[in-house]
Amino acid sequence: MPPSVAQRAPRRLGSPFTGLSAVFMKEFSDHLSSARMMVLMLFVIVFGALPVGLSLQELRNITESDPFLFLRIFTSAPQRIPFSFTASLTLVIPLLAIGLGFDSVNSEFNRRTLSRVLSQPIYRDALLLGKFLGGLATLAVALIALWLIVLGAGLLLLGLPPRSVEVARGIGFLVVAIAYGGVWLAIAMLFSVIFRSTATSALCALGVWLFFVILWPLIVPVLTLAMTPTDVAMGLGRLDETLAMIQLQSTLERLSPNTLFGEAVIGLLNPETRTLGPMIPSLMRGAILGAPLPLDQSLLLIWPQVTGLIAAMIVVFAAAYVIFQREEVRA
Amino acid sequence: MRRLTALLAFVIVLAGAATGFAQADPPRGLFLMTDYPAQAVRAGETATIRLKLSNAGLPPEPVALAVSGAPTGWKVELLGGGQAVASAMPGVNQDVSLQLRVEVPKDAQPGSHRITLSAKGPLTQAPDLVLTLTVATEAPAKLSVKSRLPSLRGTPRSSFEYTVTVGNDSGKDLTVALSAQGPANFQTTFTEGFGSNEISSIPIEAGQTKDIKVKVTPPRDVKAGDYPVLIRVAAEGATAELRVTLQVSGQGRLALSTKDGRLSGEAEVGKASTYNLVLSNDGTAPVEEVEMSGTVPTNWKVEFNPKSIPGIAPNEKKEVQVSVTPSDKAIAGDYVASFRANGRGESASADFRITVTTSTLWGAVGIGVIAIALLVLLGAVARFGRR
Repeated sequence: MPPSVAQRAPRRLGSPFTGLSAVFMKEFSDHLSSARMMVLMLFVIVFGALPVGLSLQELRNITESDPFLFLRIFTSAPQRIPFSFTASLTLVIPLLAIGLGFDSVNSEFNRRTLSRVLSQPIYRDALLLGKFLGGLATLAVALIALWLIVLGAGLLLLGLPPRSVEVARGIGFLVVAIAYGGVWLAIAMLFSVIFRSTATSALCALGVWLFFVILWPLIVPVLTLAMTPTDVAMGLGRLDETLAMIQLQSTLERLSPNTLFGEAVIGLLNPETRTLGPMIPSLMRGAILGAPLPLDQSLLLIWPQVTGLIAAMIVVFAAAYVIFQREEVRA
Repeated sequence: MRRLTALLAFVIVLAGAATGFAQADPPRGLFLMTDYPAQAVRAGETATIRLKLSNAGLPPEPVALAVSGAPTGWKVELLGGGQAVASAMPGVNQDVSLQLRVEVPKDAQPGSHRITLSAKGPLTQAPDLVLTLTVATEAPAKLSVKSRLPSLRGTPRSSFEYTVTVGNDSGKDLTVALSAQGPANFQTTFTEGFGSNEISSIPIEAGQTKDIKVKVTPPRDVKAGDYPVLIRVAAEGATAELRVTLQVSGQGRLALSTKDGRLSGEAEVGKASTYNLVLSNDGTAPVEEVEMSGTVPTNWKVEFNPKSIPGIAPNEKKEVQVSVTPSDKAIAGDYVASFRANGRGESASADFRITVTTSTLWGAVGIGVIAIALLVLLGAVARFGRR
């Protein structure tokens, strides 16, 4: 088969993105008006509003001056439920993305509308990209709405405006959150392309999500210990060996998009964060603790994480694309 | 009879001894008394003579007081409790204090003058008290002021403390006013002996001396040299002066800052950043052999240009370039580096806040990663794109 594909490829007529906007608009409007979106949105708002409401109650009673008070709304974990807004989003964004993407392709196939759509002057490229962008736009709308609600609640209850630096960091957080959602949307679409049954693809996507949420944090320490010599693992090794072990562990952890998102959020919303890796005392000498990093330095700090998220999103989408291109769409 | 008298006398003496000590029967009556019945007074001055009207064992009665025999031109007045009085009434076995105010005219005749005081009650009369007042030519009030250490040496920042002994060599108590005259902006304070209160005058009894501390604080920017301070004590026409000397030796004072006073800067990881420091001497003497040094976080490099300065004259400024290289592994953020200048006996330091920034190279690498991912996608589109 590949030789014939290779022969056909140069003979494609027109842009592969013809009809992209039509697919995108249709997908976007379908998502926004669907009952599923309403349920997901409600779900997200409840999960976001609870920690924000409680942490705002506590922030109102704080009397010490804090130059980044607004960012604390996102990051502070209220005492009554030890769950910050960002931690809550780490769990909820994948669910939202999976909910939006798990049946995007196979439901069309099952309803036998896929061949009908593709009989229009629309390439498969445009169809898949349009569906992905439509889902991403819906996700972005939901997150922006949530972000604005949090900001508005903060304005209302704290009674002071955020500084421009705080707003900039908040916008950075929004971008990272959308990229994080994009990764999970791409994963969900990948499964919707692979499996004909929507239930199977939903189960698989949720399985991957559960794997990264629950299993991966448990597996990583075991893997790290297995890959390091015993004396180092016992804490008897030299400093550089111990450092290498910690580096290995964080590298493994960073294979999970959840870790990437969490680290990027810490770097953005806690300006005091200087490094996401281990910090040895000799590097701390002379450092002014608690001094916030400038925004550009914070961005440089989390740039690998952001890059990783965006690249993962593109790569997973590319995989979905390749599989979709090679699939038989006629039912 | 004589025997009887002698016996009686013996018994009386014995009885007297038995009641306590051999005391004669205390005198009864009114007495007008003074401690010094013969005194010297000075022409043109007012003398106050203390009197006492004593009633020994008599019932109280008003006693009229009178003064007689004052020379013409003298003003004589009897005072009791600050008021002019004409009579007094001492209780049984009690005294009444009185004062005789004698205003001696300036042109009073030298020699002795007698003033007779009488106290007369309706029943009893005190013996007249005759005061002999001798008009002497005025002995001038005399003060002395001495210091054991009239010359002290120090820096502009030290305070000079002189212990001065002020003596009242005249015959009466004086209240001595203290003042000092020094060069402009020299501050002088007087304190008593070991006290801490500042004083401006001090009472000294006749013939006594008192130790006074004079503290002279020169202005900080005073040049090296000898500065005289005139300490002047004055009381009722008498003055005395003492000249003390401050030998101020100059002192250098280093200050380390930057041209605009900003003590912060940025530095990139692994790259040298140069800051211009300004080393100045605000003191009054040159500072020699100034060595620059710095404390920076571990594995950082710090270099000064020049490393050492042979000398800085007063009010001179020298620029020193310091180049700081954060270590390759430094983490972005704010760090403290302190720079020091050590001269002979003088030092200055400045804490510099350095914001370490990391290279944007990794940002470019990240963009490259995304570009590669996009290329993979484009390759897939090119490879698998369908008609």
